[in-house]
Amino acid sequence: MGGGSLISGDGGRRARQSAVRIFAQEYSESSLIERGVGEYDPSFVITKLGAKVNRCLVCGGLERMERRDGDSGPFYRGQVRDPSGTHYFDVAPFQPELHPDAEELLARFETGDSVLVSIVGRQKSNESEDGGIFTSIRAESFTEIDIEAYKSWLVEAADATLRRLEAYASSQGAELTENGLRDAGVPDDLVPGMLKSREHYSEFDTEAYRVWILKAFSRALGRVEETPEVSINNNPMQDVSESVQSKEGADPRDVILGIMSSNGEDLIGYDDLVAACISAGSSGEAAEDAIEHLRDVTMEISEPRFGFFSGSS
Amino acid sequence: MSDQTKYANQIAVVKQECPDADEGEIGKEFARYEEDFLIPPEDALRSVIKKFQVATGVEASVNTSTPIREEKKVGRFSELDADDRNVTIEVAVVSYTPRNQMVRGEEKQIAFGWIEDNPHEASSERVRWDYKDWGNKGESMVPGSVVRLEGVSVNEWNGKRSLNINRTTRVTVLKEGGGSAPPTGDEPMTIAAASEVEGFVNVVGRVMSAKPDVIVRKDGSGEIPIFRGKIADDSGNIGFLSWKEFEHEEGALIKIVGASVRKFRETPEIQINDGTVIETYRDTSFPDMAELVESEKVSIADLRNGMRDVSITLQIENWAQRTFESQDGSSRVVRSGDVMDPTGRCRLTAWCDFDPKPGESIRIEGGRVQFWQGSPDLVIDDLEQVSSLSESPWEKIDPENHWVEVGLTEITQGGSRRGISTSGTIVAINSGSGIIERCPECRRMLRDGSCAEHGAQRGEEDLRLRFVLDDGVSNANLFLGKEPAEEFLGMGMDKIKGEISSVGKEVFISNLRRRVLARKMFVHGRCAVDGQGAMLFADKVELVNPEPAEEAERVMQKWEVVL
Repeated sequence: MGGGSLISGDGGRRARQSAVRIFAQEYSESSLIERGVGEYDPSFVITKLGAKVNRCLVCGGLERMERRDGDSGPFYRGQVRDPSGTHYFDVAPFQPELHPDAEELLARFETGDSVLVSIVGRQKSNESEDGGIFTSIRAESFTEIDIEAYKSWLVEAADATLRRLEAYASSQGAELTENGLRDAGVPDDLVPGMLKSREHYSEFDTEAYRVWILKAFSRALGRVEETPEVSINNNPMQDVSESVQSKEGADPRDVILGIMSSNGEDLIGYDDLVAACISAGSSGEAAEDAIEHLRDVTMEISEPRFGFFSGSS
Repeated sequence: MSDQTKYANQIAVVKQECPDADEGEIGKEFARYEEDFLIPPEDALRSVIKKFQVATGVEASVNTSTPIREEKKVGRFSELDADDRNVTIEVAVVSYTPRNQMVRGEEKQIAFGWIEDNPHEASSERVRWDYKDWGNKGESMVPGSVVRLEGVSVNEWNGKRSLNINRTTRVTVLKEGGGSAPPTGDEPMTIAAASEVEGFVNVVGRVMSAKPDVIVRKDGSGEIPIFRGKIADDSGNIGFLSWKEFEHEEGALIKIVGASVRKFRETPEIQINDGTVIETYRDTSFPDMAELVESEKVSIADLRNGMRDVSITLQIENWAQRTFESQDGSSRVVRSGDVMDPTGRCRLTAWCDFDPKPGESIRIEGGRVQFWQGSPDLVIDDLEQVSSLSESPWEKIDPENHWVEVGLTEITQGGSRRGISTSGTIVAINSGSGIIERCPECRRMLRDGSCAEHGAQRGEEDLRLRFVLDDGVSNANLFLGKEPAEEFLGMGMDKIKGEISSVGKEVFISNLRRRVLARKMFVHGRCAVDGQGAMLFADKVELVNPEPAEEAERVMQKWEVVL
């Protein structure tokens, strides 16, 4: 057997990809995917801060866990919550060695206990034909952790995010070449991703990232009461830029229908539909209107569970 | 304060959405998010609403089915229908023309061109279609190449069909297209840059050493005269091997045009042959010998298999000699020991009458490096290569406590070395962990009771643990042999064997995963590095207990974050 599922599929001849520590929000906001060209080349989700994510290490409170039956056998789907948002993960039918652990986690979840989970997994993404991207994680291994280990991960993920934020700041005004970024002080491992992300994403406000980093620190320090009262949605600047974008952006209805058709029978979360529309250039408001319109007026999508949608057929 | 009063505002919002939900239960849920998941109530709102909407019966059947767009694999374009999506086909790329096009007010780079099906047959058997590339696949869609396209869709317009290559399309190159020869000029590069390439280079450098040598033909047909030496610039130095007369003296500044760089073991070397041009170069600001000699000094961390002309300062840890019978029956003496410097430790072997005392500091000039059990072994062949130093250039190293702490990135980018310590998070437990059987002949692991070299064998049992250590930027495979594994697991091999046979291998691994996954581990040992990454062989490991408050303070200080 060997470590076939743990090292890349070609017998480990390629260097293993390191596990990026990343909060859910940074990961889910990503709309840039780099597909490996060769048969066994790794693929990456490239985030706005330039992280090239093939493998990641994430943690959070288990908010959902369920077993599904697909054409190629049973698989598991779940989501974990961190201070910034939600990571979606699954355990694929072709990973039977993980199924006993997944069953156990499912049983733990169903007792109603609070379960903190750590997951090492590979990037996964679905894309609609209009360019809306939905990122998730295919678990390679996972385990329940205690709160001290969770806090420790919060600090590590905050550290890694701050490092990327600093690299992103250094890249401002730098020449957008590998050497230009390196000279500006972007660490070597972030240079290729930063180059691609700066070419792909438009300017954005990094303040939201700092908000959940602060939350992570205050939780790790045990200062539960001092949650900074910052509401990012009330940022007037952002609203303006969003509504400007929406005039030129893709019709969010097309984005949503695209995701539905490319995702088969899977249910898609509300937040992810909105995020996909935003990354395809609409405003959040337009995305929400579009979801309602498709559900209530044209009935092209349905909401079998609150907050989770599928295409009507 | 009860959950209900503490979360009154949030509970009211949830009640709006789920009138049937119990306020006490809602309050508990917010408390659970806050205390167990560390998510404050305002952030948990949407999650909690979802939960209660499901719980109070809004839940519908999960399996509403939409047709799944199945993959369609075809050999010829003629098998395709106008509305096929997710098509897999192998094609020959005839042309690729990139173009910027305005798509929904945004400038996008797209490309179009021709592709032909049936790419493995003569071109008269092929059908040609247009395609559009929306996914920036220019790197693989090279004219002349044969590629497999997975996830393309058919487009029909005015009765004419073409293929759309999307961003999600996977393009696999089956046969490389037109040759792309590297441009050749006589522009020199730095020696550091030349050391990274394999192929033709031009460099300017000062001759640090040059002396005639011979290569003995293996078939016994005689000797080939050559020259060996080293050249340097301010970026580094590199050895050279000249197959023709080399008439430049030590200290001369030369420009070498059209030499090739090859790797001898892990060390790059410039090969000078008949086609190479060497000329005297003039540059008064080029660093002189003394300056370059100073920068040539290496430390143990810099040693690579196959290096020659190594100058290094060392402290002797221990020394021993042994006599053995050489192939021709005469008895020979080899002396060897462990040596240290502030960057680590390695082995030193002397094929000469060299007898230092433990603790002594020595200086070696012109040593060479070979590998011994995966770690560098410095070799001296002549007593003239070594001198004793009266004073240690650094504070005396205590061999009992000499572990050089190295980060994972430095390990993966450096060479193989001993005497290091490092740390990282365990991100995988490889399934070869536990009791394994080894071949009694060669110690290799048996697979299904059989050795790759020695066939079916009665294996000898051994204990081994294999993890992957990862710090978010770099990673290494970590091996624990029997002793460190026993120490880490806190039980002897027999007990471990008993446990595995009673609970099963999967459960053993699963328990191990629960214990170590996502935990930080501190490792003492040695590392071996090759093209596929780094391997750490542990002498001793320990799990690091999380201290989140201290870690948070440290990270906040590092990035100047104030709460």
